[in-house]
Amino acid sequence: MKQKITLTVNGRIEKLEVEPYRTLLEVLREDLMLIGTKEGCGVGECGACTVLLDGRAVDACLTLAVRANGREVITIEGLAQGDTLHPLQRAFIEHGAIQCGFCTPGFILTAKAFLDENPHPNEEEVKRALAGNLCRCTGYAKIVEAVLDVVEYHSTEVSSG
Amino acid sequence: MADLKIVSKPQPCIDAFEKATGRLEYITDLSLPGMLHGKILRSPHPHARIVHIDTRRARRLSGVKAVITSEQTPRILYGPIIADQYPLAVDRVRYMGDAIAAVAAVDLDTATEALQLIRVEYEELPAVFDIEEAMIPGAPLLHGTERNLATSAEWEHGDVTEAFCQSDLVLEQRFSTQLVHQCYLEPMAALADWDGRGRVTFWLPIQVPSVAQRNYAKTLGLSPTKVRVIQCHMGGAFGAKLEHSFHLVCALLAKAAGRPVRIVYTREEEFQAGLPRVPMVIQLKVGVKRDGTLMGKKAHLIAGNGAYTSYGPAILSAAATRSDCLYRLRNVHTRMDLVYTNTTPTGCFRGFGNMQMHFANESMMNMLADRLGLDPIEIRLQNATQPGDVTVHGFRIGSCGLSDCLRQAAQRSCWQDKRVRRERHRGVGVAAMIHVSGNRSFMPQFDGSAAIIRVGGDGQATVLTGEVDMGQGSYTVFAQIAAEELGLHIDDITVPNVDTEISPFGLGSWASRVTTLGGNAVKAAAEDARQQLFAVASEMLGVTPEELIAEDGRIRAPDGRRISITDVAQEYMYQHGGLPVLGRGHFVPPGVEVSHPETKHGNISCAYPFGVQVAEVEVDVDTGFVRVLKVVAAHDVGKLINPLGAEGQLEGGIAQGVGFALAEHVKMDCGKVTNPSFLDYKIPTTLDVPEVECIFVESQDPYGPYGAKGIAEPAIIPTAPAIASAIFNAIGVWITDLPITPEKVLTALQETRAARPVS
Repeated sequence: MKQKITLTVNGRIEKLEVEPYRTLLEVLREDLMLIGTKEGCGVGECGACTVLLDGRAVDACLTLAVRANGREVITIEGLAQGDTLHPLQRAFIEHGAIQCGFCTPGFILTAKAFLDENPHPNEEEVKRALAGNLCRCTGYAKIVEAVLDVVEYHSTEVSSG
Repeated sequence: MADLKIVSKPQPCIDAFEKATGRLEYITDLSLPGMLHGKILRSPHPHARIVHIDTRRARRLSGVKAVITSEQTPRILYGPIIADQYPLAVDRVRYMGDAIAAVAAVDLDTATEALQLIRVEYEELPAVFDIEEAMIPGAPLLHGTERNLATSAEWEHGDVTEAFCQSDLVLEQRFSTQLVHQCYLEPMAALADWDGRGRVTFWLPIQVPSVAQRNYAKTLGLSPTKVRVIQCHMGGAFGAKLEHSFHLVCALLAKAAGRPVRIVYTREEEFQAGLPRVPMVIQLKVGVKRDGTLMGKKAHLIAGNGAYTSYGPAILSAAATRSDCLYRLRNVHTRMDLVYTNTTPTGCFRGFGNMQMHFANESMMNMLADRLGLDPIEIRLQNATQPGDVTVHGFRIGSCGLSDCLRQAAQRSCWQDKRVRRERHRGVGVAAMIHVSGNRSFMPQFDGSAAIIRVGGDGQATVLTGEVDMGQGSYTVFAQIAAEELGLHIDDITVPNVDTEISPFGLGSWASRVTTLGGNAVKAAAEDARQQLFAVASEMLGVTPEELIAEDGRIRAPDGRRISITDVAQEYMYQHGGLPVLGRGHFVPPGVEVSHPETKHGNISCAYPFGVQVAEVEVDVDTGFVRVLKVVAAHDVGKLINPLGAEGQLEGGIAQGVGFALAEHVKMDCGKVTNPSFLDYKIPTTLDVPEVECIFVESQDPYGPYGAKGIAEPAIIPTAPAIASAIFNAIGVWITDLPITPEKVLTALQETRAARPVS
């Protein structure tokens, strides 16, 4: 039997009726057409489906949609402010951290949740934070560089501001 | 070439914005009205006769729109090289995962449930899993070929027996490489739909759309004109997404259902029924003079084809020849056997067999250097192939920066210092490589590439190509070349995916061919379009076309007057009844030839990339765990088109090489994959990859666009042997059987200690 849920997705309130067994990933992609969240394995091993649930990075494939009831979800589509990219998106592009792009949304959201909690990490901490997301194209070097670039940018902003 | 504006400058991939914002649509993001979801019923037995299939209950399930077995198909054998596989098994299954039946239903859950309602009665047959056992007379036969051989060949160039007689040292060693999976993040998928006139359209993440159109038409019993392939954006491929028989199952299901059908592999299906790398056992014997001069080589390669043939014969040919051309070797005797077993069919993976053989060959070079007391870099410099050489297999080497790569890698890695005065349990090792930029032998009919560039009245250029970007950035390279030649900005260029109805015929993305062959075609098309623009601009500016220069979105006369390319393109359009500028260009690599069918001799590529990697490792002698600290990679790319992209290729390729060397292994128990998930099949994470230092040697290839050669595959080829020799340097043991797991390291250490007299 379907259950009624209300959740905030990228700042919009969404009222939905979903079967209790459906995952957040399915509901985001199929009901809300937010296709930026990708399925790489479906069992929580690759991180491609990472979204933010109340600010924390979760695998949408392991999260039942009903568990998101009353909560706030941010997907990759909700990161840019209009045409202005989030600093992580910009850094991923500029550093060449994107090749095939399938893992990119998950990496960017994992990095965002991490930096929101820990704005001034060192390289080792960034690597640890991203270790649950798999990328087969880049060898990670440019992904780690991109995240560190945002850290540096923020540090400069803070110190100059 | 000093004044290049866009080529040779770092360029993020042209679709990075869409990828970073989640807007790029991959195949699983596409759907068509009325689209059904397809699932495939797979054999639970490695080898069995199909006695009976009962699909009645599945058909009755609400929501099921089609159930097919081979009876509902044309039963025409499929195979890109050897036609030995039906899209759905006829009478017999040959591996655990073999496709038997398929269901199309309104949703995935219904399709999955319907699979469980299909009853199949089997009569199990004896099976064989090991490639060497499969060759023993009396082993169960898969396809009725003698000793289960799919293909085999043997040849000798020079006189190996005599070469060994003249050698001061002859070493013999067996090497083996394991089954590994490409592990692209986006699983394989297909979408197919038929129109009312019996014409099928495929939407596929595929590296070879034009070739697939032809091959798929054959198995569907159609003329190629009835098959259209539209290439989709790809979430990684690394060789696995050339062709696959399940694409045909998707089309056959769509036909039976009368509606579009999409099939998406699960990750488990990927491991059990994908196209993992061809595993090999290599028996190698090499003779060398005391001073390090290579004299002769004898090799026997046995390769695992799995249950059906994908590109195994070509992969094995590459393995059996290319690495011989790295050095000035004159005497080689090679035998190669490709063997069927009741296991998952194997296919292409970055390196195309060359990586497997480089592990053996380059490990052997390091063993020889050790036995002779020579520096591994020096022995390579002494034997290194040079520009102008014609190698033992007939490769005509135009550009070759191998010696430069060796010297630079040694210098930047502090080779001498680290090798001799090394820290405890740390070591450095080296390996070199040669590869191709295109392979003439792949498709006997032709080699080459073509492009059409349309410059519309708005001054925007569209590059139509038959080549493919699978995420590695080849369309970014094309956009750079088009922008450079047309004087446009990179944002003015779009490169749509291949559509066989519109795009030029193209051989596709493999053999590291796209930058060299496709790049030349795009350059030629852009030059053609520029000439047409200049013809109009010369009238507008009152000067001759030869005096004009296109740059920064404008065409400039010698006196400094400029007009925008948009104005010129618009004027062209007005003068030609609305026709856009259409630049046409093609490139046929000069001097290339199909290799001899038996001896494999022939100049198969117009440009050969070279490279050298130095790996530094640390070994934990208590646990056997190997950590790769750093890889210094010096690669001869001819000319850098996109430094950012080339670095990405090296870093990514080396990460895959580290996984191949140390951890990755698709494990099977009687044909069943026992680790079909990312949890149990570990690919490197951020914590496992080494620091990579990239060095690019620009040898200016005479045939590459601006001098450029391929880099995608070269990146992965020397990593494993460099790591193996670094481990030897660290702890004094050779591991010749990949992957180099902690267990193997510990066992080797224990054996060494046991053999050593107690002092």
